[in-house]
This record gives sequence, C-alpha cells and structure tokens, in this order.
Amino acid sequence: MTMDPAALKLKLKELLVSGLRLQDTEPSTIADDQPIFVEGLGLDSIDALELVVLIEEHFGIAIPDEEVGKSAFASIDALAAYISAEQARAG
Amino acid sequence: MNGVPAGHTAAGPAVPVVVTGLGTVNALAHSTAAFATALRAGTCAIGPVTGFDATGYRSRIAAEVKDLAIPTWLPSPLRRRASRSDLFALVAAKEALTDSRLDIAAAPTRVGIVLGATTAGMMRGETALFERIQGTRRRYTTTPLLGMPMATSADLLATVFGCEGPRLVLSTACSSSATALGVALDWIRLGRVDAVLAGGTESMCRTIFAGFNALHALALEPCRPFDRRRAGLSLGEGAAVLVIESAAHAARRGAGTHATILGYGMSADGHHLTAPHPEGVGAALAMRRALARSGVGPADVGYINAHGTGTPLNDGVEASAIRQVFGSAADRVAVSSTKSALGHTLGAAGAIEGLTTILALRDGFLPPTVNLDEPDPACELDFVPRTSRPAELHYALSNSYGFGGNNTTVVFGRA
Repeated sequence: MTMDPAALKLKLKELLVSGLRLQDTEPSTIADDQPIFVEGLGLDSIDALELVVLIEEHFGIAIPDEEVGKSAFASIDALAAYISAEQARAG
Repeated sequence: MNGVPAGHTAAGPAVPVVVTGLGTVNALAHSTAAFATALRAGTCAIGPVTGFDATGYRSRIAAEVKDLAIPTWLPSPLRRRASRSDLFALVAAKEALTDSRLDIAAAPTRVGIVLGATTAGMMRGETALFERIQGTRRRYTTTPLLGMPMATSADLLATVFGCEGPRLVLSTACSSSATALGVALDWIRLGRVDAVLAGGTESMCRTIFAGFNALHALALEPCRPFDRRRAGLSLGEGAAVLVIESAAHAARRGAGTHATILGYGMSADGHHLTAPHPEGVGAALAMRRALARSGVGPADVGYINAHGTGTPLNDGVEASAIRQVFGSAADRVAVSSTKSALGHTLGAAGAIEGLTTILALRDGFLPPTVNLDEPDPACELDFVPRTSRPAELHYALSNSYGFGGNNTTVVFGRA
C-alpha cells in the first residue's frame, strides 16, 4: 500500500512531533527539505534510535543500518522517498 | 572536645569548607526561598498519590512534586527526554549554581559532582515494562530506559554545566545524599577539587512504593514522627543540590556563604536489613564521629534535623541515641523531622534535610515537626511540634539512617 506523497510527508511530520515529543513544534512548520537532525529540529543520536522504531512500528519498514539511516533521515523529503521506495519494493 | 575550638580536631585545624549555593525541588516548593517559607509555615505536602494508579496498595499517600515547569534553559533533547529524577537534579543544581555564582568554566576540572540516589528513573522503565506486557508497546525504545542507571543524573549535570572534575553517584540507602555531602567535604579537604555540586535526587516509583507497602512501613495517614501514635513513614520525592567549596576559594571569588560544613560521621549497624539496632549503637556512633571530626561538643549544638521517619522503631531508637550522645545537653537541643512535611525522599533526604538545617542556621529558626500532636513520652526531647520557632543557632546536625544500618550524620555551622 502506498500513500499519496503529501499525505505521507504530513504523517511523518506528525509522527516526529508526537513520537519525539517536540511539544513546541507544529507539524506544518517543518519544511520538507529541512534537515531533521542537529541544526534542523535539534534532534540527536538517541532521537535517531527512537525514529528507527517509530518508522518500523508505523510503516513496517526497517532502517537496517546507520548508513541507510543517515540518508533516509536527512529530511522529510528523503524519509518519504525511502519509505515509498521500500513499500514499492515490497509490492 | 572541651577546650578545642570548633573546626579544630585532635588532628589540628581542618580546611574550612563553606556552602555557597542552595537549590531544591520538593513537594513543598520548587525553589529554596519558597521552601524556606513553607517550612516556617509548617505546611505538610503529603496527600493522595497522583503520579500512578495507587489502587490496591495498602497506603496510597505520598509527598509528590507537582506542576514542575520544564526549564527552557535545558537543551532540547533533555527537555523532551530527561527522567523525572534527572529533571529534579538539573533544576536544583541550576538554582544552586546561580545562587553561588560559581564560574565553572574558569577551572572546570576543579569542580566535582557527588550525588546520592536509590532508584533513579525507575518509574518510566516500569511504565515501559507494563506497556510491553499489556501489548501496547511492541518494542522497547531508548528514552524510557536511559534514566534508569543511577549514574545518569551526575552525568547530565556534568554535561549541562561543564564540570570536568571527579564524578560519583553513591547509594547508602536513605543516607545516600548525606553521605554525598560528606564525600564532597573530603574531596575539598584532600585538595582534589575547589568546589563540588553535592546532593541527591529521588523520584517516586511503583517498585519502592510497593516495597515499603509490603513491609507495612507506610502510614495510612500523613506520617507523624515522634508522635505517640506514629504508624509508619510517608514517601516523598525531590532533589537538593549544594555548592560546597573551600572557604579560601569562596573568599577569593567574593562568594556569599550560607553556612559552614564542619564534618560528618558514618557507621554501620551491622544488624538487620530493615530494622535499626535496638540500642541505636550505629546512630550514636555516627553522631559521635561527626561531632569529634567537627570539633563541636554536644553543648554547642542547638538543633538536630532528625532522620525522624515516623516509624515506631526509628524514632524511638533515634531519640535514645541522641540521649546517649548528648547526655544532659539533650534537654537543650531542639530536634525535628522534615519528613513530617516532605515525606521520606530516600536518596534525596540527606541533601534536602542538610539544606533545611542550613536554612535553620542561616535564618535563625527551628523547622517544626508537623503533624506532631502527642509527643511520645518515651522519646522525651523538644521536637518543635507543629509550629516553627525563632532560635539563634551556632551548630546543627543532620541525621540520616538508611535501611541496612547505613548511618551518616553531618555537622553544619552558622556562616
């Protein structure tokens, strides 16, 4: 099952805010191409570990290693693209 | 120690050590100033447990920290992630550092950290476990488990405030953070550091609440230490952090001082896992050692902040130990229990009560034993029942006795 890209990106933003408890951030204010980690949303390496679990729980998609994580977690755009590609690959 | 001036022991003058910063978060207040006011007013913060579902427990009351704002000065990951016990420690340390105006960055390797703790961030770990068992959590994630090691609070303090000196978290049950104050004193006198962030932190968790309930150690109504009808303790939570430094270091930087810290004594009952030694042997030895190392005689002491849990055994044994050590001077010393207001904060109790003792010395008052309506005739001391009183104090003790017979007494003096 694949989602409409815009809906997928919004869902990811909501997941970031609720799952990582970014109380002061409105999902809609996160830009699609904004870096998620460090200077972007101020997330750190422990948030990355949390995000791996959140993506697996919500989409059934694994982030197998740090290499994949680094590119998939670059931005909302990158994460949505990774999830869509994995979903397409799984058929 | 007759004839030996205070601060001097048989071994000669000890390096004078002072307290230059105070910080606390507890069930009565979220700052030292507000805490001092509530203490003097004789307020009791013990009430129904709200932090978790206490249905089915024998006793269902405690003194909880409520409505603590997450500070904006904390880095974003910690604002979102710090465990409750870590948050208490961070807030208390920030207040103490602000109060002391200690410039850690000027010599970061000369600032140490020593905290007492018992179960740290256990509460959130318990919640994660329950969610997993109930099937609402399929996998463990990092955050609820990160705060579980006791060392975490001191690690976070070091990271957030940039302390690069020695760092230690110790656990001697309910005397943990009294012991931490003593270790800070040793570090300074040994010349290892110039200043120490010393204290303790404790947050409520179901494991401890269940354990004390299972022991029938918890009172069904707010605890009433030294009362004839006392029927157990009440649990509490919070933190206190003190900035302790050599008097010379404090003087060089022009710091104000709240009190001096003169010495401490430790002992072990070597008797029982939960009961104190019936003759108070260990409790008396800790007080004697603390007095001897401080060069303070019983007649110089105006106030003892008692361990005073409110259990039938502790309070009787502690009163008897005070009689043994103080002799006739026991008739002129005021003794009160802060646990009657704040509950027993376990790993934080020694530090919170040390801070209480410092406020008594500094502000010239005796904190009351609230809820004390009928002083136990078997205890026979001035327990400052219900209402605080003004008093000019020169020296004061803070007693802390932990399960397993872990006894620590700390001696403070007026600045």
